[in-house]
Amino acid sequence: MLSDVDRGSLAAALRGSYAALIEVVSDDEPAGDWTAAALSSTGFYLSLSTATSFSLQLAALISDELVARAVLSVEQRSVVELCLQEAVANAIVHGNLGIPSTAKDHPEGYRVFSQLLNERLADPLLRRRRTDVFTRWSGRTLDISVADQGAGFDTSLIPTEIDTTSRSGRGFVFMRALAGRVAVTDGGRCVSLRFAL
Amino acid sequence: MEFHARNLADAIEARLTGRLEFTDHDRLRDIVALLDAPNLRRFVVDVSGLDFIDSAGLGMILILQEEAEQKNIKLIVRGPRNDVKRSIDLAKIGEIVSIEY
Repeated sequence: MLSDVDRGSLAAALRGSYAALIEVVSDDEPAGDWTAAALSSTGFYLSLSTATSFSLQLAALISDELVARAVLSVEQRSVVELCLQEAVANAIVHGNLGIPSTAKDHPEGYRVFSQLLNERLADPLLRRRRTDVFTRWSGRTLDISVADQGAGFDTSLIPTEIDTTSRSGRGFVFMRALAGRVAVTDGGRCVSLRFAL
Repeated sequence: MEFHARNLADAIEARLTGRLEFTDHDRLRDIVALLDAPNLRRFVVDVSGLDFIDSAGLGMILILQEEAEQKNIKLIVRGPRNDVKRSIDLAKIGEIVSIEY
């Protein structure tokens, strides 16, 4: 269990080779879903608040740790980092903070989007929603799942090809182009990525 | 992401360093504001110092392109390399933004 998490403390905790690292935001927080998490010596599980996962470049931290544990080579790292970044960003922004990608789709949209981000990151309930990351590896594959506590979305709307003019929608195209397999479950609240090692 | 702006002979250049990602939307408005300089015709975004860009960061470059186009300013993205080049190529950003490799 971790509290007052920053990038340095989380990186140090990951180096401790724990099977699960769970951020506790306050003493009265209920036990939560992580009690059912299957723990493994060839993987780790992170459960962080939205506020924390937004602030500490989570995809880079996890990718660094996977290299440090010799799961990934330096060459493999960049592909995993980009896919994980897209999954984490979706979980935080569209999932836990409930900001639709259409928020950018009009003139001045980026200002609206930025304002919504700041407002919702300041919302005490939304900032405490969890971003959960599960990693597990075997000799030949690395599986990473990212889950959020948002409302989910209609997975049939996920774009399959790049729209070069669109301000959004590239994340899933990146994941599908670079990961060996991408699965979206739990009504859009969980993205699972598989990579060949 | 950090950026540093400087005046060139015929343009303004914004040199970006670090990571351009979904947490950087607040910084975008500072870069967009540079487009308000009087008589500006060319705006160079030097990304050679960027180590990483995600899809949100690419979306920011497209927003810069739209804002520049509305002001009749030519936007040039200069010097993408490694992971940044891969993301720009994968998203086919070069089809609508001038990229100088």
